Amino acid sequence: MKKEILNRVNGLVLEVLFRSFRVLYRRDSRVRDEIAGWEDGLTLRLVCGPGGASLAVCKDEKNGVRRLRRGQRAQITMRFKSVEGAFRVLSGQIGVAGAYAAHLFTLEGDIYQTMSFVRCVDYLEAYLFPPFWSRRILKELPEKQVSPLEVYARILLENKC
Amino acid sequence: MKYFEFTNPTKLCSGKGALDNLAYELEILGAVRPMLLSDAMLEKIGSLKLVVDALGDVQIGRIFTDIPRDSSVETVNRIAKEYREYGCDALVALGGGSVLDTAKGVRLLIAQDTDDLLKLMGCECIPKGKDVPFIAIPTTAGTGSEATPVAVIKNPELHIKMEYISQQVMPDTAVLDPRLTTTLPPRITASTGMDTLCHAIEAYTCMQKNPVSDAYAVAAVRLVRQNLLRAVRFGGSKEARAAMANASFLAGAAFGNSMVGVVHAIGHALGGVCQIPHGDAMNILLPAGMLFNKKVCRETYGELLLYLAGPEVYTATPARERADRAIKEVIRLRKKLHLLTGLPTTLQEAGADPAKFPEVAHAALNDGAVIVNPRQVTYDAVMRILEVCYGE
Repeated sequence: MKKEILNRVNGLVLEVLFRSFRVLYRRDSRVRDEIAGWEDGLTLRLVCGPGGASLAVCKDEKNGVRRLRRGQRAQITMRFKSVEGAFRVLSGQIGVAGAYAAHLFTLEGDIYQTMSFVRCVDYLEAYLFPPFWSRRILKELPEKQVSPLEVYARILLENKC
Repeated sequence: MKYFEFTNPTKLCSGKGALDNLAYELEILGAVRPMLLSDAMLEKIGSLKLVVDALGDVQIGRIFTDIPRDSSVETVNRIAKEYREYGCDALVALGGGSVLDTAKGVRLLIAQDTDDLLKLMGCECIPKGKDVPFIAIPTTAGTGSEATPVAVIKNPELHIKMEYISQQVMPDTAVLDPRLTTTLPPRITASTGMDTLCHAIEAYTCMQKNPVSDAYAVAAVRLVRQNLLRAVRFGGSKEARAAMANASFLAGAAFGNSMVGVVHAIGHALGGVCQIPHGDAMNILLPAGMLFNKKVCRETYGELLLYLAGPEVYTATPARERADRAIKEVIRLRKKLHLLTGLPTTLQEAGADPAKFPEVAHAALNDGAVIVNPRQVTYDAVMRILEVCYGE
């Protein structure tokens, strides 16, 4: 039962993550620059533990990222070893660097290309969590180029596809 | 209580006569027809012959010495093909980091029964495959590759360095025989020794550090302090050589578990963009990297002073000054090595082109080592470190 709840929360946060990628691609120059540097058509998948929620995206010129078609193979897959581990990251208990150091996930694909994705997630987390929280999970708090409230509002209004 | 993992399945055979047991080590691994990997230089100076002699009656399936300075996917594929064609059943790798990384790549291809290394890129994602006994015999005391789960192999076609972090690449056995390092010239001894020191210091301060990797790291730092200058001055000293080989293994086992940080990230990039030899880059970058991280590593650097300078200096130094003193000790060692061997202490001396620094900085930011560096690494920070290390 507990796992099922965590799975649902993970799925929900992945949706927020996906939308914030698209919003910040348009609103934050650093996220835009990072994504622009990705190889054309780069595909990434985040899997939240065995049988857990997942998010698969592809680089998109217009919106930064778009969803990957079901069953399409991703070039980079970050796979959390457990649903619980994924929850710790997605609920902001631990940052991506901390999760890597704690062996919470495995990575299939090019480590060099993944580093840019990790930097993007750091920027996203700085917007999504309040500063006192972000400071606990990020090594340094990046400056915000836009108000977090605006980001939240745009996430709510963001097109799902 | 922080969660951590530590793995070091490699059996260590170290010291006088270590090579003599090679045939036995292969036998207990169940191998009867090993493939021997090395390079042309080691063949020329007779190190390869030492290994062939040590193998005695063991039937060698194939000897391959055409391994370039930087491992490449083409070389790995070619060797794997020959491994299969010649019916080999084990790998014995004699050489520096390049030969050992090549052997790790070959092992992956054979064990996973594939011919495409690209499919296996990543971190902790490769399952255990077919058993391929693998013995590593390092000929430098620096990379620690014989004790790490890391392999880096170049793919010139795709212009990428393929990185593998997996327990599956670790050798079954590492043989450290001082006979193989006594012929190393002083300058290479100094450069590779500083690589070892850098592995140990970064391992002790990175985010993935843990109590077990710490024990390995400090043991390595102590051995470097006690033996590096001796190995440089008296290259024929088997004791100093054996101690440095042990230090390299210990530091490798430490950073193989705790990973390395900003110094290695920039060093890898300098190697790729400006062709600065890895050990030289570590020697140049280490103090600047430590100064950069000091903001968040004051305590750990302070602890390292005990191993870098000994108990007298440690106790005589007030706690608040220990971190700075530890950095000064590294600079002092570097100065001595410079005087003894001419090992460059600036990027200018090493021949780096400052016009390429922006490219170096971008490459460094995409290096996996950045993620576990204790302090956030930014483009501006890397550029500042490079400028400081250029030495104007």
